[in-house]
Amino acid sequence: MHHFRITPLRLAAAVVVGSFAFAGIGYAASLGLLSKQLFVWNQTLTKGTCNQTSTTAFDTYVQQASPNSTSGGTATTLRIVPTAGSQEYSFIRFDLSGCNIPTTGGADSAALSVYVTTAGNSTVSLYPVYSTWSESTLNWNGLGGLTIGSTATTTFSGSTTGAKTVTVTADVDAAIKAGTLWGWELKATTGTAAVVLASSENATTSRRPSMTLSYEK
Amino acid sequence: MKRLSSIIGVVVTTALLSAGVAAAASLGIVSGKLSAGSATLSGCTSSALTTTRNVNNSGNVTQVNLTNVPQACAGQTVAVTLENSSHASLGSASTTVGTCTGGCAVSLTGFGTVSAANVTAWAVSITQ
Repeated sequence: MHHFRITPLRLAAAVVVGSFAFAGIGYAASLGLLSKQLFVWNQTLTKGTCNQTSTTAFDTYVQQASPNSTSGGTATTLRIVPTAGSQEYSFIRFDLSGCNIPTTGGADSAALSVYVTTAGNSTVSLYPVYSTWSESTLNWNGLGGLTIGSTATTTFSGSTTGAKTVTVTADVDAAIKAGTLWGWELKATTGTAAVVLASSENATTSRRPSMTLSYEK
Repeated sequence: MKRLSSIIGVVVTTALLSAGVAAAASLGIVSGKLSAGSATLSGCTSSALTTTRNVNNSGNVTQVNLTNVPQACAGQTVAVTLENSSHASLGSASTTVGTCTGGCAVSLTGFGTVSAANVTAWAVSITQ
């Protein structure tokens, strides 16, 4: 009868084997995967651009001194006036329906460009508009029916003429998810001087409002 | 007898070494990648999942929203990884699916500073 004896060599071998055996389990544990995977789902995104020009732009301005006037809808300029009692606000939006971006998509980046034709020492702030409006019917009296964000998305200085480009990515991203971009209200938040912008009806095409848009869907 | 002892030793050694590997294999991770369907929870599948993301004005991802997550997945851990065109991770976040009726909505934040422009794919996983 041969008796199996535990020799120092055999004991050492057993320790080594045991260590290797648990190494695999340790490997799994190190990956944090001792829990069970139920499913993995992958989605590849499609990227694109859909830059906006005056073709899809709608704009107007409203006048406190002429609260029923809708003349801003056909004007060649957009006025922003901070004077108390004679304030004027401008509105700009773009029709993104031609971009065919689903509401599950979003903006990667968006930048609005306007052109200051008459400078004024005022800061122009852009507030997002969340409700429908038409350039042919909006007037001062209609402002109360609009839903406008209370926090300005961005600002620019109206103190010099020329192109002004501001980032509006978050607003456009939210608008894509909402299904429609209702644009921005532009009004002076500091300063006392009027600022005049070229509108989408301006004779100089390059000065009309435009927007670059990169998106995903 | 000595030879039999050696053979038994080899067999036992091989068996023990295989045990660790088998443990990993049973989890579908021998390759280091996750495999789908390594476990099941009735009704917790990805068939109708919808994913969107929000960005801030700098274009960085602030939140990922999952909708139509089956209610059978309630209580499980959902993880989202934002990937670039090479499918390398740009950021990830996880949370627990809450209880709900119908399709659950889950929002994840904390992806770090990840430009949405660089995100070309995302991976969603649910673990039990």
